[in-house]
Amino acid sequence: MSQDNNTNTTNTTGHVWDNDLQELDNPLPRWWIWGFYITFVFTIVYWLFYPAWPIGDNYTKGVPGLNSITYTATQPNGEQVEKTTHWNMRSKFMVEMNELQEAQKKWFDKVAAMPFEDVQKDAELMQFVNSVGKTMFTDNCAPCHQQGAQGKIGFSPNLADDHWQYGGTYQNIEETIVAGRNGYMPPFKEVLQDEQITQLANYVLEMSGEPHDAEASKAGAALFRSETAACYYCHGENAQGKIQMGSANLTDKIWLWADIPGSKTDAAKLAEVKRVITGGLNRGVMPAWSGRLSPAQIKLLTVYVHDSLGGGK
Amino acid sequence: MATAATSAPINEQYNYDIVRKFTIMTLVWGAIGMFVGVYIASELAFPFLNFDNPYITFGRLRPVHTGAVIFGFGGSALFATSYYVVQRTCQARLLSDGMASFTFWGWQTVIVCAALGNMMGYSQGREYAEMEWPIDLLILVVWVTYLIIFVGTLMKRKQPHIYVANWFYLAFILATALLHVFNNLSVPVELFSMKSYSLFSGAQDAMTQWWYGHNAVGFFLTAAFLGMMYYFVPKQAGRPVYSYRLSIIHFWAIIFLYMWAGSHHLHWTAIPDWTSTLAATFSIMLLLPSWGGMINGILTLSGAWDKLRTDPIMRFLIVALSFYGMSTFEGPMMSLKDVNALSHYTDWTIGHVHSGALGWVAMITFGSLYHLVPRLWNTQMFSLRLINVHFWLATIGVLLYITAMWISGIMQGLMWRAFDDYGNLQYAFVESVAAAHPFYIMRAVGGAFFLAGMILMCYNVYRTIRQGSTETQAELAPAAA
Repeated sequence: MSQDNNTNTTNTTGHVWDNDLQELDNPLPRWWIWGFYITFVFTIVYWLFYPAWPIGDNYTKGVPGLNSITYTATQPNGEQVEKTTHWNMRSKFMVEMNELQEAQKKWFDKVAAMPFEDVQKDAELMQFVNSVGKTMFTDNCAPCHQQGAQGKIGFSPNLADDHWQYGGTYQNIEETIVAGRNGYMPPFKEVLQDEQITQLANYVLEMSGEPHDAEASKAGAALFRSETAACYYCHGENAQGKIQMGSANLTDKIWLWADIPGSKTDAAKLAEVKRVITGGLNRGVMPAWSGRLSPAQIKLLTVYVHDSLGGGK
Repeated sequence: MATAATSAPINEQYNYDIVRKFTIMTLVWGAIGMFVGVYIASELAFPFLNFDNPYITFGRLRPVHTGAVIFGFGGSALFATSYYVVQRTCQARLLSDGMASFTFWGWQTVIVCAALGNMMGYSQGREYAEMEWPIDLLILVVWVTYLIIFVGTLMKRKQPHIYVANWFYLAFILATALLHVFNNLSVPVELFSMKSYSLFSGAQDAMTQWWYGHNAVGFFLTAAFLGMMYYFVPKQAGRPVYSYRLSIIHFWAIIFLYMWAGSHHLHWTAIPDWTSTLAATFSIMLLLPSWGGMINGILTLSGAWDKLRTDPIMRFLIVALSFYGMSTFEGPMMSLKDVNALSHYTDWTIGHVHSGALGWVAMITFGSLYHLVPRLWNTQMFSLRLINVHFWLATIGVLLYITAMWISGIMQGLMWRAFDDYGNLQYAFVESVAAAHPFYIMRAVGGAFFLAGMILMCYNVYRTIRQGSTETQAELAPAAA
């Protein structure tokens, strides 16, 4: 209820609400009004630079020549046409993409014209490969193979090591990227007794130097090469896998589907291997990239996987 | 002119019961909504907190958070204060106690159903309007009832003039009704199906959504809270509002300009370029009208600046206005095409929203409720010291939050557009996610500070109410609940 105004000389509007609510009749602050006007001026200038007001089916396009964009468009017939237009998002995008593609074209052309082996020897070119490859790998490959290409047990193979299920030459890798891969192992639960699967699993563990039951493993080794289980059809007599089929090498201590490194006990390891043999595998699907990446991009990505990530053959 | 200060006659003159109910629910939803906010912020920093449980994943809890804080906390605060302010400044009881009670139970049902529905996976997929159509219909009925009560009470007023706070409240109620109806026009898949599809599609759908989304900010979270400010700031300061003329000009400027600006949420997308330009320029023109509210509030205190040192409630109100000024400067800047090219889709947006939501909306609410609660329960606040602690917890919380989001947002924007010497993107998206991690932790910590303050307030108000009812019992035999 302090009505003793000590600083304000302005009068109130004379209305009082709720005992003591009043309003002074101060004028609008000058800087506030001028600020408000300046935003109007800014607004009008902005309208001169950009498309702004709809008129019927059309719209104002800003002052001609003030903020126009010139870009090169490729016609459906392949002809390149230079166009100048008022400011618009699409053209701005075209300009930026054209610039980038123009800057990269000579590098891509160089990679496309060279045999794989020579690309790797050209240090300057490899800088380009690393630059493009890193982004391409991250956008396209890393969701499965992980950011460091280390893969994930039960999901995707490691691309940074020396082991290649489908072969590690430039041609193998390019083929994998172009057409994709579709790994498959049939389930054996209908074909084999549980005891036989246990024997096979022990044999598989033995081949990678894991703890196992020696007697069961011996039986498993025989079963592996028998017509009953017929494992050797795909994995080969020596159990080292076949590149043509992408069948796993069972002797190299590298585990993709059975999570042996993550299994704490011997029993858990055995159970993991048995799980794979029993249920088979039908999830090793890698999509084909031929439609999504250009041949030049795939070639470059191949070099990146082969040389930059390491382990190529 | 002076009204009696004892509670018994006041309870007959005004309906305080409804104000008390909404005040309590403001605190309840504030605590719940902010807790969920801290939890989902932690989920972003430490994804294992999703626990592979679909009901509590980020995607479902996020609308639970926004629904609980905007409609539960903010909405209940607006119901409480608008019912209080309209009665006090019109010297008239609410139009109907029954209808007011319906708005209370109806609104609480909406918030609960929306939260449960979101957790069960029901969503319209429209930001801040995730509730499916049956809830939308209930909102509509509650809202029309609210409008009738508010207008009816204004018409019953014993004052020749309508106080400025009521203009803002009325504008908010009208605009929200309009926005809610048009944004939620949709067709259910079947009569008894909870799933519906929007009447709009493509860019039009997006523009309808952001016309709604932006004006929900403009009218629900700005105009309405300015109404709150116009009552509680001069009341708490014990001084007249700085300028009547400014209040008129900035009121109409805000009302006119806000509705055009929504498309700035859709810069650099498939909307027409001219739409985007208009939205940017109307956002720029909104800067000074928004500041009009801030100036009018802050200058109301001129001549009584010492109150900032002595009165923690005043401090809440003035700091709220400062955050309001800051975020209404930041907003127009972010709406410019070129700034937006950097800020769009980054955490900067999240930071901007929270400097408004925590700094402005929540702080002005805290200040107003600390003024309101002792008057509703006819007592003093239990502890002024706890209000002071709350003030610092809240301020530190907001500052941590928005600083974290500024850094991570601008960093994201810069990383996403960085090119190397060969014109290739320098960073993979995932690298920007990894870089944001420390700031996600910092944001969760800031949120936790803010939540701690909120919980402290709940305790302080609980003790105040208990103390109030003991005093009343001592005075009168029959105690009001």
